[in-house]
Amino acid sequence: MAMAAAAPFKVGMKEIYLPNFTVCLKHTPSQPPTSASFLVPLWFSKLDLRDYLHNVYSLAIGPTIRSYVQQSRIRQGQVKDPARPQYKRWHRPRATKRMTVELERPFVWPAEPEDFKPWNKEENKMADQEQSAMQERLGGTKDALTIPTERRVKMREQAKALLEGRERWRPGGGRGVEGIGMFSR
Amino acid sequence: MPPNMHCTQSSHLLTALLTPTRTTTSPPAFLLPAFAQTSPFSSSTPCSARKDHNRNRGVSALRHTGLGKNQRLSVRLSNLPQPVLDPLRRSVVKVDENHGLWGFFPKERTRISTPEESNMHGRAWTVQELRGKDWDDLHRLWWVCVREKNRIATTEVERKRLGGRFGMYGDHESGQRVAEVKGTMRCIKFVLTERWYAWENAREAGMEDPEVDLYADVEGGERAYLPQEEGEETLSLGSEDDARTDPTQRLPPPVESTVSSEARVRV
Repeated sequence: MAMAAAAPFKVGMKEIYLPNFTVCLKHTPSQPPTSASFLVPLWFSKLDLRDYLHNVYSLAIGPTIRSYVQQSRIRQGQVKDPARPQYKRWHRPRATKRMTVELERPFVWPAEPEDFKPWNKEENKMADQEQSAMQERLGGTKDALTIPTERRVKMREQAKALLEGRERWRPGGGRGVEGIGMFSR
Repeated sequence: MPPNMHCTQSSHLLTALLTPTRTTTSPPAFLLPAFAQTSPFSSSTPCSARKDHNRNRGVSALRHTGLGKNQRLSVRLSNLPQPVLDPLRRSVVKVDENHGLWGFFPKERTRISTPEESNMHGRAWTVQELRGKDWDDLHRLWWVCVREKNRIATTEVERKRLGGRFGMYGDHESGQRVAEVKGTMRCIKFVLTERWYAWENAREAGMEDPEVDLYADVEGGERAYLPQEEGEETLSLGSEDDARTDPTQRLPPPVESTVSSEARVRV
């Protein structure tokens, strides 16, 4: 990494060594290619960003930087042990600061990957759908208004079998030690 | 649609229904009342923008704004350049090879790195390996780590955006990679702290030591270490207990009791 050339702006006297923070580049397709947006630490200033981009990325920047702080919405914290009753842990996460910069030379992001196979996007979607279908099959909540058709058909068959005497009713659904029910699958 | 027209106006309804794609079919019977109505639904008069007859609005005499007396602009209001709204019709922007923002993207210059690419990393530097490095190398390595952390953060944000509702793999691999980078940064700070303590201990020892001159100008030729010439028996293997066990010394003074003799007699 080469040393940065003399800065085109006025620099201060303070030297900062080994800072530990992250600056992230945001994707803003609605903005023109001559602008770039960053997610910066909350204590960052416009002068800091200008200096940072010049020294670390050798990025020539236009005269103005725009910044805004985005407040987070209130949300609940993680409940580590759902079995025990806990307070709801309502809190407002830390706000994020975004800064938009004008570039001297335009920059266009590389194209989106056409196929998301390396990231298993399809499989994730299918897994989620499978899971929701499974939960529906298991019966859902007690006060569910609709019962899935599959379950209704099965219940009808089971009722018919009981009435016709093909099966015998047993208490507890005939659930044995292995957990097999009256109508074993 | 012309600005004075409303979407409920009968003429608009007619043109919408009787489009060329449809062959000669009359509108259905239930829509006929719409054509009977000729007035708009809204009863308030539509107001268009008034012409501002004040040419000097926004012009400041104090700030000397506005056009000069014979100044001519290069662009006429009727001839303004129009933006190209359709992104497919826009000209292709040529991105510089050495643009600074490429530092936020993977080496292959793709938008985000795949989980496989993220997984191709080594282990963090160990403290023992870094102890041999000088300040310049450690400083450079620190900034390499910072840039890598920025790149991973950019990938993560973009991956979460592209993942949509169900998400995409790559979280675990990125997390592992960042952990290694952070480990290296931790070791750099450890080594530098260790070095500082060694220096600080040496400095304090040097202040106590009569043989060391901390204020010496080494570059000027003065010597910082000035060993005192005591002879060859400078090596003394003594201990703190020597005063007590040395037979040539006098007997130590008796330990004074805190209880007075008068108190003892009374008891």
